[in-house]
Formats: sequence, C-alpha cells, structure tokens
Amino acid sequence: MTTRQIRLTVNGQERTVEVEPRWLLADVLRERLGLTGTHLGCEHGVCGACTVLLDGRPVRSCLLLAVQADGHAVTTVEGLAQDGALSPVQEGFRQEHGLQCGFCTPGFLITATYLLEQNPQPTREEIREALSGNLCRCTGYQNIVNAVEWAARKLAEQNSAKP
Amino acid sequence: MKRFRGSVDKPGLWPRKGGRLSGRGACRFATQVEYIGQRRTRVEDARLVQGQGRYVSDVAWPGQLVMAVVRSTHAHARIRAIDGSEALRSRGVFGVYTARDLGGLNRPMPMGIVDTSFEPALQTPLAADKVRYVGEPVAVVLAEDRYLAEDAVEKVRVDYEPLEPVIDLDEAAADRVLIHEARGSNVLGGFEHTVGAGEAALATADLVVEEVLRIGRVSGQPMEPRGVVARYDAEQGVLEVYLGTQSAHGAKGHLVAMLGLPPEKVRVIAPDVGGGFGVKMGAYPEDILAAYLALTLGRPVKWAGDRLEEFLATNQEREALHRVKLGVQRDGRIVALVDRFLQDCGAYTPMGSLIAHTTAINLAGAYRVPNLYVSYQLVATNKVPVGPYRGAGRPQGHFVIERMLDRAADRLGLSRIEIRRRNLIPPEAMPYDTGLVLRTGDPIAYDTGNFPEGFESLVAALEPRLEERRRAAGRQGRWVGLGVANYVEISAAGGFEGAIVEARPDGTFLVFTGAAAQGQGHRTTLAQVVAERLGVPFESVTVVEGDTALIARGVGTFSSRTMVMAGNAASQAATAMRQELLAAAAKELEVAVEDLEWEAGRIRVRGVPASALTVGEVVQRLLQSQERVRTEAYFSAKGATYGFGSHGVIVEVDPATGGVSLRDYVMVHDGGQVINPLLADGQIIGAAVQGIGTALYEEIRYDPQGQPLNTTYLDYLLPGSAEMPEFELIHQRYAATNNPEGFKGLGEAGIIPSMAVVLSAVEDALAAGGVPAFFAATPVTPEAIFAAMNQGGVSHEAASV
Repeated sequence: MTTRQIRLTVNGQERTVEVEPRWLLADVLRERLGLTGTHLGCEHGVCGACTVLLDGRPVRSCLLLAVQADGHAVTTVEGLAQDGALSPVQEGFRQEHGLQCGFCTPGFLITATYLLEQNPQPTREEIREALSGNLCRCTGYQNIVNAVEWAARKLAEQNSAKP
Repeated sequence: MKRFRGSVDKPGLWPRKGGRLSGRGACRFATQVEYIGQRRTRVEDARLVQGQGRYVSDVAWPGQLVMAVVRSTHAHARIRAIDGSEALRSRGVFGVYTARDLGGLNRPMPMGIVDTSFEPALQTPLAADKVRYVGEPVAVVLAEDRYLAEDAVEKVRVDYEPLEPVIDLDEAAADRVLIHEARGSNVLGGFEHTVGAGEAALATADLVVEEVLRIGRVSGQPMEPRGVVARYDAEQGVLEVYLGTQSAHGAKGHLVAMLGLPPEKVRVIAPDVGGGFGVKMGAYPEDILAAYLALTLGRPVKWAGDRLEEFLATNQEREALHRVKLGVQRDGRIVALVDRFLQDCGAYTPMGSLIAHTTAINLAGAYRVPNLYVSYQLVATNKVPVGPYRGAGRPQGHFVIERMLDRAADRLGLSRIEIRRRNLIPPEAMPYDTGLVLRTGDPIAYDTGNFPEGFESLVAALEPRLEERRRAAGRQGRWVGLGVANYVEISAAGGFEGAIVEARPDGTFLVFTGAAAQGQGHRTTLAQVVAERLGVPFESVTVVEGDTALIARGVGTFSSRTMVMAGNAASQAATAMRQELLAAAAKELEVAVEDLEWEAGRIRVRGVPASALTVGEVVQRLLQSQERVRTEAYFSAKGATYGFGSHGVIVEVDPATGGVSLRDYVMVHDGGQVINPLLADGQIIGAAVQGIGTALYEEIRYDPQGQPLNTTYLDYLLPGSAEMPEFELIHQRYAATNNPEGFKGLGEAGIIPSMAVVLSAVEDALAAGGVPAFFAATPVTPEAIFAAMNQGGVSHEAASV
C-alpha cells in the first residue's frame, strides 16, 4: 500500500512520519510516535477518550485520518504539563479524585482544558454540558466537575497574581 | 456541593476507643499518624493525568504479531467448514488458526470460580463444530499490525448451517431447541432454599402481591476494552502475559491449566487496568489463544479488543425473570417472600452460578423476612455468556424485594416510606440471622449497623424538598416523584488475600499484593494501612500490585473484597514488620523491646534520646545476615461484611418527551471503618451512576434471530455528565466485626439500590400526574413511560399541550 509523508507539530515538536493514508491519527500518535496517553475507547467517536487538540480545538483522533492532520498542530495529554509541573486541570483531577481507572482521563483533560480557555468561569451545569461528549464509567462525573471547578479557581488565582 | 453529616459523627456510635477500633491489634502501638480514615489524594494520579499510564494496549514488543478474531455472525449454527486460504494470502498475514490447528488446547476452559453446585457448560477457546452466540470466536488471524489483521479477518470464509436460536428465557427453559445437545436440557442447574415456613406462610398473610419482574441484560463496559499481550522468554523459559484483568493469579491458574506449563513458568502482569466492574475475570478465549500462540510461535502476540468486541464477546449480566409473591399483614409487615426465577446464562457458564446464587441471598435486603422461599434455574440461551457485572446479583435481589414492597404499599394504601419503616431490621436485633446462607456455608447474619437511623436520615433529607420541587416543576407541566430503597451490601465472602511487606535499607517499604486495582486506588489505600500500622510516613510506603512474579499467591479484586482481605493482610504484615524491626533494634541497642519507642521513622530507647536508630539503620543491620527483610500475611475474613445503605431520589418526568431528570439524589452509606473517604465516596457515586444506567438507559437487545441490536455507544447509552445529578452522601460508620480493622466492602454499594429507587421515583412522578404505573421491567425508557401513560389514558400529546 502506498504511504504518504506527513508533518505534524505534536506538543510543540515537529514530527515527520510516513503513514498509510488509512491510518487514524490516534494510531499514529500511539504506535508511530509512542504517545500512548491518547486512548482508544470506542473508535466510533462517542466516548471521547481519544480527544486531542488540533490547532487548539478538540477533535476525536479516532475519527480523523493522520493525513488529515498533515501540517497541523496536535496537543495530546502528554503536552499539558509545562516544565514538569501539572497544568491546573491535571492538578484539579488529582486534587478532587476526578479519575479512577484513568483510561478516559486524557480525553477529559483535553476537553476541560479547551473549555476553560473558552469559558474560564463555567457553572457546574456548563461544565457538565461541555464534558457530555466524554464518557467515564468509573467516577459518576461529580468529582470530574469538581476537578474542573478546582482548575477554574486555580487559573483565576494565577491570572489575578499576574501584574 | 452540599454534604450532609449524619449521626455518624456522634460519639458513642463508633465501636472505637480513643479514635481507634477497640479490643484488637490496632491498639497495640501508639503511632503518631492517623492515615486510616484520612482523606488523601492518590499516588496513582500524577502518572495517569500525564498520559504515563501503561495499559495493556500500550504494551508493545519488538517483533510482535497482532491477533484479530473471526467471530460468529450467527447466534446458533453448525460450522460446516472454515476456509482461511484467502486470508492467509492477505498482506502482512502470518497465520490463520482454527479449532483444528489448536489440537489438545481446544478443550473447555476452566470456570472462573469454584462452583460444584451444577455441571457447567464451558466454552472452548475456538468454536469447533457449533457456535452458540453472535461474537463467539471461530478463528484467529495473526498479522503484522491490526489494520492488516482485520483485513484478513474479513477474508476468512466460514460456512455455517444456521440452527434455530433460543433467546427468550421461558422458551429456552421449555427445551424445544437445545443449545448444548449433550446436556439434554437448556436448564443447566438449579437451587432452592427455604427460610422459616417458606411458601406455606403466605396462607397467613392478609395480602399477597404477585408480580413477574424482568431485569434487562446490560454490559459492564469498562472504558478500556479487554486486551492481552503475551511473549515467551525462551532464555528464562517463562511465558509473560500482560493482561487487563481483575485477577492476575486467577488468570495465571487458567493459563497453567490450559497450556500445561509449570506454575513457575507463567507470569501474569495486570498493568494499569482501565476499569473492570466484574467483567475482566475468568478465562476468556483471547487470553488463552494469545498466550498459546506466543508460546508456540516464539513471537510476542498482542490482542487489543475493540468496543464492538466488548459488546459481542465480554460477559454480560443482570437478565433474569422473577416470578414473585410477597405476603404482608395489613400493617405492612412482611410475612413471606417467594421468588422463583430463571437466570439467563447466555451460551456458557464461565462464572458458574455466582450471579443467580448472589441474587438469591440478597432477596431479604435490609428487612425482616421471617419466611422465604427461593428457587432458580440456570438457563442457557444463544446470547453472550453471563458473568459478573458490578453487584453480581446484589442489585437483582434488592430489585425484587424493593419493587415488591412498593407494590404492597400501594395496594395497602400505605406510603412507600412507611412500609419500609415497619420492616427494617432494628439495631437491637443485631446480629440478625437472615436464614440465608453464603456460598461458603456460613450463615448470613448482619452484624452491625443502625438501619432505621440511616433510613430516617435519608427521609429527613429528601421529604421536605418534595413539595417545593413539585410546585416548581408543576408550573412547567412536569411531574415529580420520590423513590426510596434500602440495601445491605454482602461483600468479601470467601477466599483470602495476601500482602508482603519488604523493608529496604533506605528506610522505605514495599508492599506486594495480588489484589490489583482497576481504578480503586489500592496503591494509596493499602499504603495508608501499612504506614499507619508501621508508624512510618505515608510517602515511605510503595504498593506494587498485580504481578504474579512478586507474590506467589493471590485472589484478586472483585466482590468489594480488597480492603477487607488485602487491607487486613497488609495490616498484619505491617504489624509483624514493626515487631521484627523493634526486636532487631532492641538487640542492637541492648534493651528490651518494651523500653523502645517508635516515632517518625526512628526507634529509640525511652528516656535516652541519644540511643536511637533509624528504621533504615535497623534494616541495614538485619541485611548483614539475611537476604531480605520481609513479612507476609494472608487474611481470610470469616463470613462476610454487611454494609447498610439507603438511596432516595426525586425525579422529574416530562410527559411531553417521556424524559426523566434526576433532581435530588441522596445516599446513606455505612462503610464501616473507611480508609480514605475521598476514594470511598468516589466508589459509591460511580456505582450509583452505573445503576442509574441500568434503570434508565442501558439494555442489550436481541432480535428473534439472536442478533444483538445495539453494539455501539450510539445505541447503547451510557450515563453521561449532563444527565447525572449531584449526589449527596450521608455517612454511617459501624465497624465490621469479622475483621480486625473493621473494614466493610463498599465498591458495589452504590449500584445495589439505584435501579429500584429510580423506578420507584418515576412511578411516583407518574402517579402525581394521574398515571398509575408499575414498572416490572428495566430499563424505564421514554417508550416505557409513554406506554404507561397510554395505559393510564393520558396521551403524551395531551400532556404536552
């Protein structure tokens, strides 16, 4: 089968990879680039475990062919922590027990990160609505909502501390 | 979030002295730390939130082959022939294997539990002559990657001779079509048990209500599908198997039995496991096949199941048909409960009669049921095999008694709250022998708790809100109702679990256990237990779980058993370690053990602060004359633990859409001595949401030909964040009496009453709208609500005007 060379900016790094056109972005991230933090839960675009940011917007990497991402920037869960420090969203999930088995978590972290960029002070209802495209079978969601609220508070603190 | 504090925190209710459980080993050492009971964030999380978890599908070995499975497209058919020649020519394909290629391997796989109560019907790794459910493996393909393997799967030609399938339970029990011909019947086994006068007591009841209750078939659906990666290390002669399992040691036992290898030559590792909920247990064909092929080919073999396979080939649960009679006095007191039920087994019985039996022993719930008769039949059908899903019979048993109490209350003109009040087992009756018996043969005798206190705190929390909710929703044309239900979680019955504590020369400790987590957070909670009992900082304890090479014996994580079993084992091993280190320090410092005190990782002579050793120094001395410093303990609790709880929910029903919104959901829960309230609450809430799924959204449906109709998340609906309510918890804490630490199982608690309570609340809401309804089946979908409305003469069109 023919292959195509694609160029991705993954978590800020330029990556060039030779892929078959039918390969999904999720599989390329996981199997070709070693970024196994992006998980495959349903592979039909419902569970959201595979959510990554494509040019800053959340997409299902199980519904996107890798060749479609050619020339674009991809942020995965591995790219959320900065300089070894957990992002406020990551820290919020830890503080509020927003994860149990952790399998769906990368997708939630990505979606929540995007939510707080768009809406830094969401209500609980808005958080639930924003996360409704991600499924979690362990937590019952309540602590995930708490985690996003925690992150929103943290971000607000950080922003007010800035001169 | 509003959090209630129940009467739990009142002094006197705790069977403790000075903040600690009384009269047991727990008091032996005065430590500075109070880790048990401490709300702590998890040590697991830093890795997991950075995408550094390592799940089975993340494991990859150089030179590995990927396995894909050819699955039956028929519910019931004879296999005439399988032609893999075209698949074999497909690009990147290494091999195609059918039952014939497996030789002696292709024999019935072991059952996942010990169950001698009936002759099981067990699946072979690949179907040889006949398939019995859509999804049954008939062949496997090995290829260079998953894309290529799946290409080839489509090219395997299987010639089937279709047979008439049997889907319905009553029809299956009638034996017109046989699924396992050699057995002569689809009824594979049965059971009966009588308490008191049994059914005869119904004659003395003022009222007998009769119902046929049908519980829908659901699927556990952990977010991580099942998977396995096996490789044979020829140098060591060891087969190493990474498996998404709740029981690494159980899986090892199955592999040893199937492959005929000596136990020391098989190592099973349960890495990070993405949810289990009961379905990642027992012997599955893919596990055996991947291991066998890796062993025989000398190349690593990986199978990462996908979501479709999770629907087609992972054990399912709940489906049962109950024919029930409840006899009550005029005042609502229960006289007798009679339940004859058919338990759907699906095509095979990989986990024996576990679910049916657990259902039977849960029928009395939290109530005095002086007379009871239960019988069940295990019925084979042409559907996915049945195995435990969180609760594993507990929700079903409680569904029966709770639904029947609602029915009896309605018929007597009594409130549904009042009938429960009149039947709850009072604290003065403890220990209360239900007359039911555990699988282990031990009596089911509830040991501690105050059920009425818990129930009243629930009623007090919810009842006052009902009128306000009704007023607010009524203005928008919606109907509001309240449901309540009680339960007792019978957990951790049978088996054992072990823990090894190893001291390291730097003064830190490793803890090994066979009971690995699938999200429960054992690395945190077991470290809390060990740190407390040792008297060392939490940070100095590291728990290593789920590797059969590191601890020879283990059972696994299921049935809400780990904190009871492994928790007490860890406590005992830590206590033994402390004694060993104290004895060594006493020798070194030339004093008696009684003269030593242990504080913050230092052991010193009382009154002589200069005469001291750090824990690390003591370990170093010991290591001068021994290979390692370790203690181990294996704990088996007698009987079971019994954790009471109550759920109550106020729901709104929109008559225009048939939609149900959960408004206020309150849970009372007695977790005994809780190790980490943060994690315990997480378990309770998560389980409740799963139960709500069974009540409102989830059901695997089959057409008459046995084709599953919903095998994606587009048509099998899991509860989502937008539909779920904010839960409020009220805690009770009555320590268990059957284990030194007083722990109670709690992992399944939340799921037990949530199905019954939601149905009850929806009925109450419909009644408020003038629609009399009784839901005898799950799930209660908008379709079921419309049907009730139509039957009650209220059309949803009229209601929506």
